[in-house]
Amino acid sequence: MAVSPLVAPATSSPFKRQPSAVPSSNGNGTPRLLQNSNNNNSNNNNRPAPNSNNTLPMTLDPIEQLNEDEKRKYVKGKKLGEGTYANVYLGHARHDPSVLVAIKKIKVQQQYQDGMAPDAVRELKYLRELHHPNIISLVSVFSSKDQNLNLVLEYLPLGDLEMLIRDVDRVRYGAGDIKAWMGMLARAVWFCHDNFVLHRDIKPNNLLIAADGEVKLADFGLARAFADPGRRMTANVITRWYRPPELLFGARHYSGAVDVWSVGMVFAELIIRAPFLAGNTEVEQIALICKQIGTPTEDNWPGVTQLREYTVPTDVVAVWGKEAYMGRFGAVGADGVDLLVKTVALDPKKRITAREMLEHRWWRTDPKPTRKEDLPRKSSGGEEKMAADLKRRPGIVEEEARGAKVARKLDFGQSK
Amino acid sequence: MATEDARYRQSSQYQLWSFSPTRLAAMRDKTNAAARARIAERLSSLPALSNNTSAPTSSANTPNADGSSTPALPEFLTPPEEAQLVTFFTSELLRAGDHAEMSDDIKATAAAFFRRFYVTNSIMTYPPQEMLFVALFFGCKAEGTFVSIAEFGKTFDREHPEDILAGEFLLCQGLRFAIDVKHPFRALRGATMELATLPDIDRNRLAAAEHRAREVLRFSPLITDAYFHYTPSQIMLAALSLADRGLTERLMTQTFHHVAPPPDNSGADTPASSGPDGPAPATKRGPPRGSEDKAQIIGPHIRDQVLGTIEACRNLLARELPERREHWSDRAVLKAQVTPLRKKLSKCRDPDRWNLVELQRVRREQAAKRADSEEADPAPPGAAAANNTAAGDGTVFGDALAPREVKRRRVLDDPFGGPL
Repeated sequence: MAVSPLVAPATSSPFKRQPSAVPSSNGNGTPRLLQNSNNNNSNNNNRPAPNSNNTLPMTLDPIEQLNEDEKRKYVKGKKLGEGTYANVYLGHARHDPSVLVAIKKIKVQQQYQDGMAPDAVRELKYLRELHHPNIISLVSVFSSKDQNLNLVLEYLPLGDLEMLIRDVDRVRYGAGDIKAWMGMLARAVWFCHDNFVLHRDIKPNNLLIAADGEVKLADFGLARAFADPGRRMTANVITRWYRPPELLFGARHYSGAVDVWSVGMVFAELIIRAPFLAGNTEVEQIALICKQIGTPTEDNWPGVTQLREYTVPTDVVAVWGKEAYMGRFGAVGADGVDLLVKTVALDPKKRITAREMLEHRWWRTDPKPTRKEDLPRKSSGGEEKMAADLKRRPGIVEEEARGAKVARKLDFGQSK
Repeated sequence: MATEDARYRQSSQYQLWSFSPTRLAAMRDKTNAAARARIAERLSSLPALSNNTSAPTSSANTPNADGSSTPALPEFLTPPEEAQLVTFFTSELLRAGDHAEMSDDIKATAAAFFRRFYVTNSIMTYPPQEMLFVALFFGCKAEGTFVSIAEFGKTFDREHPEDILAGEFLLCQGLRFAIDVKHPFRALRGATMELATLPDIDRNRLAAAEHRAREVLRFSPLITDAYFHYTPSQIMLAALSLADRGLTERLMTQTFHHVAPPPDNSGADTPASSGPDGPAPATKRGPPRGSEDKAQIIGPHIRDQVLGTIEACRNLLARELPERREHWSDRAVLKAQVTPLRKKLSKCRDPDRWNLVELQRVRREQAAKRADSEEADPAPPGAAAANNTAAGDGTVFGDALAPREVKRRRVLDDPFGGPL
């Protein structure tokens, strides 16, 4: 936890041409007791304070009044979830109690001493601009008195895709349902990319479900705009099981293809109802990709061996063809498998794009996608799941120490 | 969802931060008047001899000779004076950004933040010298560069860099939490690449034009109101036009290349080759045909309209060409034009708002006091004004300061947005 959440800039200027930093490893770190007001007060008390001012009532400026008005449009209800990063409340519009919202109150983070935290900045920046039926909508923003950011989000009471995938006993679904969910996911991702935004954390529990069955892509805490050519980005994004090989190999220049890989992983998971490639470490993750999809080599992916962290198990597995997937993933038909295989092309340049996904023939072949109101759903637990998803710290489940990456090489060296 | 224009109209830059010049001036007048009223009120409610660190100790505030505790009110800045100072401090902001070798995007975003903030907040209320650093710091973050405040402070030799953080939330609020700013830099690259595909373009000329246009984009639109009045592509074309008018017109002719089909009908139609000085035809053209749509999008009528907009933007940018950087740091100019205003400012600033660190402390203290009651009832005491119901329900991001009418409706039928 002592590590700075920032990638220490190495160049002369800290502002120039830096890849965006990523919040550090507190995703599963030790929980902390937050004592905001106490700490803040003690921090600031060492400054000379003009006494006369303290007793004067602070009137509101127009800017503050505007915020108050915004805040007053919503009534904050019961707390649905509490996390180190954010608390989630149920809320409703003051003028109409039947209009429900989820209020995500982002906490002042004790481990980030530099003002508003990166994930909050990113989430605010992108959600504020992206308006699409398959992207969670940011209804409003206001600040509470203690200067915490409150994001008013649409209320999504039916939980998330993960919940449906996991409940094998009670939730049954078929190819038409998968097609409907995947269609909504593909549209969301296409829209992000078409607006030059990379999501960088697509996974089933970031796919929430609205009351009418619509799937909504949420959690933009790791999102960023497409970088200008030549500008480096961090490779340390996307939850491991959904992370593409180029990021596992440490690529610093990448594209929407990273999200497409994640879409492929979600697709596979929807079919087999378990995470497709669930590595416990990055090393394992790469090994699983090599085994199940094929070993990235110069032949199937020119240039891959130049990536900084490129290391693969010594016994090379040839890239599996479509037929190999039919047994396990055949439930979505040959066309569905064709789409799946294209999303998990090892070479990101050969991977299908979000737009091409939408043009794929699978959507037009039988069975038709299920109408959203007829999609399988769970009758309970959705609200809690939504709260759990919204309060979670974005992105990284863990961040491996540099040592672990070195160890990877040894590991492979010894195993064969 | 189809067109880029429809997309742009959904952006916060368009919805919240685009105004006609008249509208913008009216908002600034309103901000100025409101600040005067509040500051006057606050100054006169100050205890006579309060040795307030944040209040100016000037002759204006000393008690009258007869010992009465009513201080004379200072002379306030006028709206044009405020605008002049905002421009000066924007140039300071850009200088600071250059000093720190920040990227173009960061500097441009920070400048836009700074100018947006001072549309609805008076420079007499919140200290510009502080806010420019806040804008730079938050601009870094908004552009995805997360630098520590300690490091940031070091770059600018700040003794208490944490003070900058005290203004961050305030800035964010002033921006109405819209922190995505769209810039013309990439558009310029695109336009250059497009021009490069034309057969008879002199490469050296093109390179020189791009270079000069970039220089312009790095300064002129940022220090003027261009971002409030024009779209990024309009600003880009205006900058390119300042650099090389011929190339820009070439690009426009190339883009709006639709020519009315051969005159096998309606001789009433005059071919729109009248050139830029001929007024755009006011009447609708002949019978609706297959090419009608095309004419609407890439026809000569639209071209002339766009050219008019670009010309207007060009004139705005021409007031602050990059050479004016020196102007804003020239000693003689400062002495004559800026120093007097800063002196005036130091006498009329808001005693309650000037010290951001203190302001944040007080705010947090109030929050702590209210914390309990707030859990029970979110209505803040005193804020339950009757006019709350007046707030439009559909207007999600608040409307009070920027009513909907300000949006430029004429853009709707124009791919690049109409002239204002």
